[in-house]
Amino acid sequence: MNLKIVNISKKFKGFELKNIDLEIREGEFFVIVGPSGSGKTLILEIIAGLLEPDSGEVYGIKNKKIGFIYQDYMLFPHLNVFENIAYGLNIRKIDRDEIKSRVKNLALKLEISELLQRNVANLSGGEKQRVAIARAMAISPDIFLFDEPTSALDRNSRMKTREMFIKLHQKTCSTFIHVTHDFEEALSLADRIGILINGRIIQCGKPDHVLNSPESKEIADFLGYKNVFGGSIKNNRLNINNLNLIVPIEKADFAYVAIRSDDIIISKKKIESSARNSFFGEIENVFKKSSIYEVVLNVGVRLSVDITRKSFEEMDIKMGDNLWATFKVSSLKVFKH
Amino acid sequence: MKFKAIFSFLGLLLILFIGIPIVKMMISTDPSTLLLTSKEPEVYSSIFLTFRASVWATIIALLTGVPLAYILARREFVGKKIIEGLIDLPVIIPHTAAGIALLTVWGRNSLFSKATGINIIGTEISISIAMFFVSVPFLVNAVKDGFKLIDERYEKTAITLGATTYKAFFTVSLPMVKKSIISGSLMMWGRGISEFGAVIILAYHPMTAPVLIFERFQNFGLKYAIPVTVLLILISLIVFIFIRIFEDK
Repeated sequence: MNLKIVNISKKFKGFELKNIDLEIREGEFFVIVGPSGSGKTLILEIIAGLLEPDSGEVYGIKNKKIGFIYQDYMLFPHLNVFENIAYGLNIRKIDRDEIKSRVKNLALKLEISELLQRNVANLSGGEKQRVAIARAMAISPDIFLFDEPTSALDRNSRMKTREMFIKLHQKTCSTFIHVTHDFEEALSLADRIGILINGRIIQCGKPDHVLNSPESKEIADFLGYKNVFGGSIKNNRLNINNLNLIVPIEKADFAYVAIRSDDIIISKKKIESSARNSFFGEIENVFKKSSIYEVVLNVGVRLSVDITRKSFEEMDIKMGDNLWATFKVSSLKVFKH
Repeated sequence: MKFKAIFSFLGLLLILFIGIPIVKMMISTDPSTLLLTSKEPEVYSSIFLTFRASVWATIIALLTGVPLAYILARREFVGKKIIEGLIDLPVIIPHTAAGIALLTVWGRNSLFSKATGINIIGTEISISIAMFFVSVPFLVNAVKDGFKLIDERYEKTAITLGATTYKAFFTVSLPMVKKSIISGSLMMWGRGISEFGAVIILAYHPMTAPVLIFERFQNFGLKYAIPVTVLLILISLIVFIFIRIFEDK
């Protein structure tokens, strides 16, 4: 049965959710992504039944077992690793031998067998996380809820954790609802994502689709679009600072257009091609990133362009150089607000 | 180095201020008098009564104070500040005044006494009541602060794992505030033992140790009051050190 969140609103301790509607399919890996303070944890706690919404309802949750993994794992400090994992089983008054064998089995799967008698305070971040997952898995949940589970980890462990989540999802066939502020993480995990900003889900869909078609400036900003321009459009042209941008819609009193930094080509000579937007300008700034360079070109407006390190070196780009920037009309995204 | 020296010096002043009168009193009593005093039935029964009455008060405070502390730490409601102020009040008001206030509720002419026909004034129960009133803030506040330090999400996690609210409280929250409960109980119990003002108004007899010390001082002078005092301090010290060691383990 699908999980249906219908028109949920809630105000709680400075956070607010406004009219949230979501349908999450059984077995789906759904990621709610949004900046911190957007109310992500609140949604999870409402789904888990830990908080009553002010209005609205959650359907398809009754009698479902929930595995809730909080950001800082919430391992019970007065219990050791074994007792933590066994907690949900002890509550269910399961036979002691059965508990022992189940906990051992889970520990084996999550590679924490040697930690079972350890005090939880002395575990590393990654170990704590695996213990928390084992504790949740012990009750065989129908739905896993993950509250920013990777934010306390270093980059390396974060990558490993993502792999583990994908495997876990495949093995358990449970529904996964995961919240994060990291869009990249959402991209690598999700079947579908929902973008939560200021207490509203403002876009929902497959990750690639959302990434390529943001529906508002807010979303484009959140997704890291650096080239977003607003203005009125006439005859397929958006005029900003005397620059005529050819855009895919004919007319609008006001609209935003956005283009991804890696959809722009830069060249020393003007390129003769089907791409209809071509502008000449000076390089104002260059930022070195891990595998790419971000070049800021002033063509009347500042355009941020990502190029590979190889092209950067081959073109022998320097600050103050004058270059052409070219992009297709079809790579421009247009939205009204 | 200078920092450490100055801080140690200031701390030492405080220790001396407390330590000197106690040590002086102790060395002014010779051990044989002390031993003799401890064999007086009036003395040992009064010390035992004092400890016992304070234990009753602490037990009742645990049963009612822990739930109250939990609510005060976890919930927001109208009038919460008033309740917190009320809990702090017994620390501030003169304890003789506290005794008089208690007398209006539990005294011979009180509604309670008339309705039940029971007179508790001058009994061990009234001693416990006086001790409870003046010392319960120490327990409630210590346990409240303990609960406040514990992230609510521990309980929420327990609930998602299948625990009821009660189960989550008893298996997660309560064990996590164990230290606060122990030290709060100790503080309350200790404060109960030392109580004089409220106790003497509710029960001159049976005589608790502080009342006995007062009586001997009044009737026979300093010389007779000191051995009882030293005995009470020594026993309290031993009990406290023992519990602190036990608590660390």
